[in-house]
Amino acid sequence: MINEVYSFALKNALDEIRNICPDITHAFMFREDGEIVIGDQNTPEKNIVQAVNAFEGIFEKADSIGHVECITLESSNGRVNVFFMNELYFLIVTSRNADMNYVNTVTHVLIPTILRLVEKICPAPLKSNSSLTETRPEPKPETPIFEESEEPEPLRESIEESEKSVEPETTPDLLLPEPPVNQLIVENLGGLLVPSDTVRIDSAILAQWEELYEDKKIEEVEIETFDGKKTTCKVKPIKDSKYDGKGTVQMPEKIQSTLEIKKGELVRAKPIVE
Amino acid sequence: MVKKKKSFQEEVTAVAEPIATEEMTRTSDFRANLEEIKTWNGVIGYILRNTTSAAIDLKDPTKIIDYAILSSSALDAAEELSTFFDLGKVKHIVVEGKDIKVLSLILGENKISVFLEKDADCEKVLTKLR
Repeated sequence: MINEVYSFALKNALDEIRNICPDITHAFMFREDGEIVIGDQNTPEKNIVQAVNAFEGIFEKADSIGHVECITLESSNGRVNVFFMNELYFLIVTSRNADMNYVNTVTHVLIPTILRLVEKICPAPLKSNSSLTETRPEPKPETPIFEESEEPEPLRESIEESEKSVEPETTPDLLLPEPPVNQLIVENLGGLLVPSDTVRIDSAILAQWEELYEDKKIEEVEIETFDGKKTTCKVKPIKDSKYDGKGTVQMPEKIQSTLEIKKGELVRAKPIVE
Repeated sequence: MVKKKKSFQEEVTAVAEPIATEEMTRTSDFRANLEEIKTWNGVIGYILRNTTSAAIDLKDPTKIIDYAILSSSALDAAEELSTFFDLGKVKHIVVEGKDIKVLSLILGENKISVFLEKDADCEKVLTKLR
């Protein structure tokens, strides 16, 4: 789940939908290429993967019926509904006695609204999600709906205030694409030979950034906390397979201290392209 | 995602050698019903398969292979999803595209897919088949 962090808002939405519609036993979202966007907290990722794989044959021949817009499965103990909205497939499993009018009303109103909202909040990432599927550029993110840790804010020299660049990505004019913003979870990076000015990020994310910028090597990255503290540092791919592909950024203690964050917290990262 | 190879090996023939008279009668009934359904407005065609034979009647013969694979994939997906989510016996699955929808179900040993225009009434078809 490359996009799991960016999907935080959607995950909350799915969980809330399940709260108000207890008849929904499972809910998750995926793309046609099989990439899982998000799942509710009660559905193990393994089950989601199996379920998404089950649709592969259908999607392969979907052109013959004009692209899959909806799938409905009726079984003796419940049903599965899959809807296509905003370039994503949204799957819900409901119990046999579910009031489908209510469920449909909730899901068909809430989910598109949330997707639109997320798209408005972070236009660049979501647009690239939909429009760059063929070239698979970058995974998304950016959703200021998080509540970050509430630490005090003594400013340090290397930290800039965020107000200048709150919306740097709304001017889609120039030569280079806007820098994609990825939300990542902070992991510790330690060791004797670890440079204190370098963070490590998923190799897949770096590759997508480089692809987006026509194979320019990304050597620096801007890290921003949800409190608005920013710093620029060097970046390298994660070496430890335990952390690679998990939506994490490995960060030396010094940078964590500069940003006043710690392991487990979320930050935004975007490439710096000269 | 792991690729799942599916082959649609059934031959497109008329109903072949009867194995059991009762089963053949049932299959014949389904065929008769499907023939009638096919005359309805908005019905594009059908595929009927069982262990010994397959019958396909579609308005556009160039789509036979695609529709056959889609039909087979839909029924496989239905079985798998029903197992993953512990939903019990599959009743039917409807795959809706922008232009066409496919209603697939298993009745006895017969796997049936009916291809309909987007606005056609699936419930009416289901009622007729059951």
